[in-house]
Amino acid sequence: MTPPTPRARPVAPVWLDRALAFAGATAALLSFGLFAWLVWDLARLGLPRISWTFLTGEIEDAGRSGGIGPLLVSTLLILVCCLALVIPLGTGCALWLSEFVRRGSLAARLVTGGVDLLASVPSIVFGLFGMVFFGQTLKMGFSILSGGLTLACMILPILVRTTLSALEALPADLRPASAGLGLTRTTSIVKLLLPAALPGIVVGITLGIGRALSETAALIFTSGYSIRWPSSFWDSGRALSVHIYDLTLNVPQSGAMASSTALVLLALILVVNSAAVALSEHWLRRRHQTS
Amino acid sequence: MAAFAFTACGKKESGDVVVLTGASTIAPIIVDVAKRYEEAHPGVRIEVQTGGTSRGIADTLSGVADLGMASRVLTDEEAEKLTAYRIAADGVCVVLHKDNPINDLSKQQLIDIYTKKETNWSAFGGPDATIVVANKADGRSTLEVFLGFVGLDKADVKADVVVGENLHVINSVVSNPNTIGYVSIGTAATEAQGGTPIKLIATDGIAATTENVASGTFPITRPLTIIEDAETSPAAKAFLDHLKSAEINDIIEKHFFVPVN
Repeated sequence: MTPPTPRARPVAPVWLDRALAFAGATAALLSFGLFAWLVWDLARLGLPRISWTFLTGEIEDAGRSGGIGPLLVSTLLILVCCLALVIPLGTGCALWLSEFVRRGSLAARLVTGGVDLLASVPSIVFGLFGMVFFGQTLKMGFSILSGGLTLACMILPILVRTTLSALEALPADLRPASAGLGLTRTTSIVKLLLPAALPGIVVGITLGIGRALSETAALIFTSGYSIRWPSSFWDSGRALSVHIYDLTLNVPQSGAMASSTALVLLALILVVNSAAVALSEHWLRRRHQTS
Repeated sequence: MAAFAFTACGKKESGDVVVLTGASTIAPIIVDVAKRYEEAHPGVRIEVQTGGTSRGIADTLSGVADLGMASRVLTDEEAEKLTAYRIAADGVCVVLHKDNPINDLSKQQLIDIYTKKETNWSAFGGPDATIVVANKADGRSTLEVFLGFVGLDKADVKADVVVGENLHVINSVVSNPNTIGYVSIGTAATEAQGGTPIKLIATDGIAATTENVASGTFPITRPLTIIEDAETSPAAKAFLDHLKSAEINDIIEKHFFVPVN
């Protein structure tokens, strides 16, 4: 008996390729369309009011008129507090997981499991935790500091995860090679691994910034509701997102102001994220030139 | 812009600070009142925080807040430890087009309309026309007050139009005379006086006027109160007296609520 002739491998017909490309393009168009529609809607309602006075003025009439100056400052200060804690904590944790502990060991599994679980905690729970832990136990009260630290806890998983995958994606022979050159572990981490993983880390930071700036529930009970110009990190200060939430729910006839504030928030996220990317690129370029 | 200093090692305390927490419906009013009060009383700082009526009650009892803001009547148990002072009322009235002949709807009739058990105005002595039901979007305080009065759940309401703002409801009624909606009494009265072709109709025979809301006879309402416990600081007492006075009535009206003092 002759062995059966092997059947030709089925070839996907050309029309299927085309259909797939078309479906992909449609999905991409829809995704972009959603973003474009959102921005257009906000711009249509909010753009007419945006001016220098709006950006620097104080809130008048519960937010129906005036500006958002103090809130802009408070929001940025909350972000500063948040990043000051989350960047060292997140990178440190990821470095430990990737470089100092055996993958799959009990300790590593516990830490990654804990961090991943943290990522699925609803933000209002962080808000209540922050209110009790930072606000009451650590006596920070309603303050920018308390809000920033609460946000840091919330975005920690994002930073740990992205930094970890950036470190794990580095070429496997990088570590034995640096050991072969006689570099200490510290030198290897500081001079080699971290810079190589920096683009990935920056992606994590920008994702975290977006999440932090758009957060409401975690901030109502921590950084609070005050519309004064903040004079220190110990002052309560309303974030832009909290203001948008308050306008839409509690202040009648303030829809246009909410749209203007949302537009400013969107622009702020764009500016801060571009700054983070530009900073890392600048730093990498300078490093390449000097070394 | 304000000068910014980082005081690293301690919270600075200067002058008298009065902290209020509680109902998010009341907080924007108090922020406005506080701004004016601080200008008249240098050295006093009013800190307003939100989080809901329950937060206000808990914080006032625990001492986190000097005063609480509550947008509902206290339970008997809460009233043992706290005293509530009404500073304003949130009244919601049903609005119809001026050309609609109906002038009064009972609670039961409102339930029938909002659950689409009755869908034609002729059932209530009106024209033979389909009723267009306008409802408020989730989270609006007027929605809560209205649903609390008719005793319906959000899911029970079958609406044709869902809008967020009082003025949008009024616009719906103006553009389609068969529409029924409900709005804050302050807004409706202002619009009706200004010549907008709408009317505020009576509920269970009680006219929808700010007077009836202030006196507590109008049924679709809830109180906006400030609460204190037994240990209120002198600075907080002074601010509470201000809140209980008629001096804040202009601000309350600007927020479309009804002054009661």
